[in-house]
Amino acid sequence: MDALRIKNLKKSFGSRKVLCGLDLSVPEHSIFGFIGKNGAGKTTTMKAVLGLLKPDNGEIYVMGERVRFGQTGTNRHIGYLPDVPEFYPYMTPVEYLTFCGAVSGMSRSDSEMRSRELLELVGLGGECHRIKGFSRGMKQRLGIAQALLNRPGLLVCDEPTSALDPAGRKEILDILLAVREQTTVLFSTHILSDVERICTEAAFLNDGKIALQGAVAEIRNKRSKDEFVVETEKKEDAEMLVKAFNDLRRIEQNRLVLQGGEMRFFSVMQYIAENKISVQKMERMEPTLESLFLEVIK
Amino acid sequence: MKSFAAFLKKEFLDIARTGRLFIAVLVFVLSGMMSSAIAKLTPWMMEMFAETMEDSGFIFTNIQVDAMTSWTQFFKNLPIVLIAFVLMFSDIFTKEYKSGTLLLVLSKGLSRYKVVLAKAAVLLLMWTFGYGLCFGITYGYNAYFWDNSIVCSLFSAVTVWWLFGVWVIGLMVLFSSLVQGNTGVSLCTGGTVLLAYLLCIMPKSKVYSPAMLMDTASLLNEAVGIGAYRKAVIVAVVFLAGCIAASIPVMNRKQL
Repeated sequence: MDALRIKNLKKSFGSRKVLCGLDLSVPEHSIFGFIGKNGAGKTTTMKAVLGLLKPDNGEIYVMGERVRFGQTGTNRHIGYLPDVPEFYPYMTPVEYLTFCGAVSGMSRSDSEMRSRELLELVGLGGECHRIKGFSRGMKQRLGIAQALLNRPGLLVCDEPTSALDPAGRKEILDILLAVREQTTVLFSTHILSDVERICTEAAFLNDGKIALQGAVAEIRNKRSKDEFVVETEKKEDAEMLVKAFNDLRRIEQNRLVLQGGEMRFFSVMQYIAENKISVQKMERMEPTLESLFLEVIK
Repeated sequence: MKSFAAFLKKEFLDIARTGRLFIAVLVFVLSGMMSSAIAKLTPWMMEMFAETMEDSGFIFTNIQVDAMTSWTQFFKNLPIVLIAFVLMFSDIFTKEYKSGTLLLVLSKGLSRYKVVLAKAAVLLLMWTFGYGLCFGITYGYNAYFWDNSIVCSLFSAVTVWWLFGVWVIGLMVLFSSLVQGNTGVSLCTGGTVLLAYLLCIMPKSKVYSPAMLMDTASLLNEAVGIGAYRKAVIVAVVFLAGCIAASIPVMNRKQL
């Protein structure tokens, strides 16, 4: 069963169409990377999943149960971590998690036990100060703890690493990897190295629709054309090559990129040999999500 | 019910730890003390100004104060106390919209109507507790200095003014679910009270206006009986119930 299924989701803000018929399915126990540039509609999709935003059209199912705007019944299956989680600053982490437990209907003993267990998991075990003085990274870790409190079937994380430094990002990604056994993770981001590091599945959101979706390894292989990099010694040689091959793209003064398959690359090599062009480097690039993302949003 | 109780507890923790409980209690206590203090100090103040006033043609002789003077002052202080209360709690909903704290709580499955009811309950309990404290202090001082029994219909007057405060709370809840900022809540609440006050100017509409509940002077000096307030009380109660009932679907449709 899919943990989350979205059918033909549409949403506009005034005349601006943000989502134009989005279809998405998130398999259970996957870490699903939801990729899109800033303003692509990732947060809008997530808020619609949580029933916090009214879609213009479409259906959303969480654990097979239909989401209805304004009614938060399906949220008992969901743990949500916003990009910048905000807590009641006058509470301590234990107080906040115990309050969340009571709100979601957990027994007092269970929520207290689970709170301590999760605070240990996210590295806030010994923290007894009020949230007011917490750093961004600490708030993000507490955010994960609150999201996992009621053992949700689906953990929805909205750009959890985008506001953090490299050390903070690593900590959050490690935690998300660690919880994969317990839940399904839907994780929106525009940091593609994070997706490559932890995600099993991914989808690219572009122009309000899913442009590409599947297992991360499959997506990489779907890349239509291989990419080759040629670095000449002289700038003039690079200019000569660009004139000769119109599909060669110049990315630096003497660094060129070719996206035309092996046969096309052989032609370039032949031209280089015939014209005795001095080459510093020739490289076949491994397809990356980044190059694929740039290709998709082009 | 458990989630409602948890949210209600959180609301009390909020007002206690953010210092609003302390400030509200201070305002109510000071107001309660001031009513009797001003009445007690009136003769002394009049003596102080007697000479200056004499030059202007005013002569003060035999200034008498009693419990009635103090209770009149009590009801004069109440509008200021209510304005302070509205300003202090006008952000009870809106600060959660702005900061996004409500988002996480709703994502835990808490129904929105429980948020509306818990916040309305906190406002109501705070107003009732503070108002009771203010009344109790004035009553105590008045009993010590003078005789409360000379004031007729005191409890009826106190009750109708309390109801006026509850009606204002209903407005605060409705406008808090409608608008995004606390300035909007204060202005809309104030605007509606002003409208009700304007209705009081016309004799025909006065009896229906909840603002009539503020006019307790005629009740205290027995010019009218409690029956004169019946229509205004019914309008206030119906309006209050309507405000709370309307806030729930408005909140349900609110995009956060």
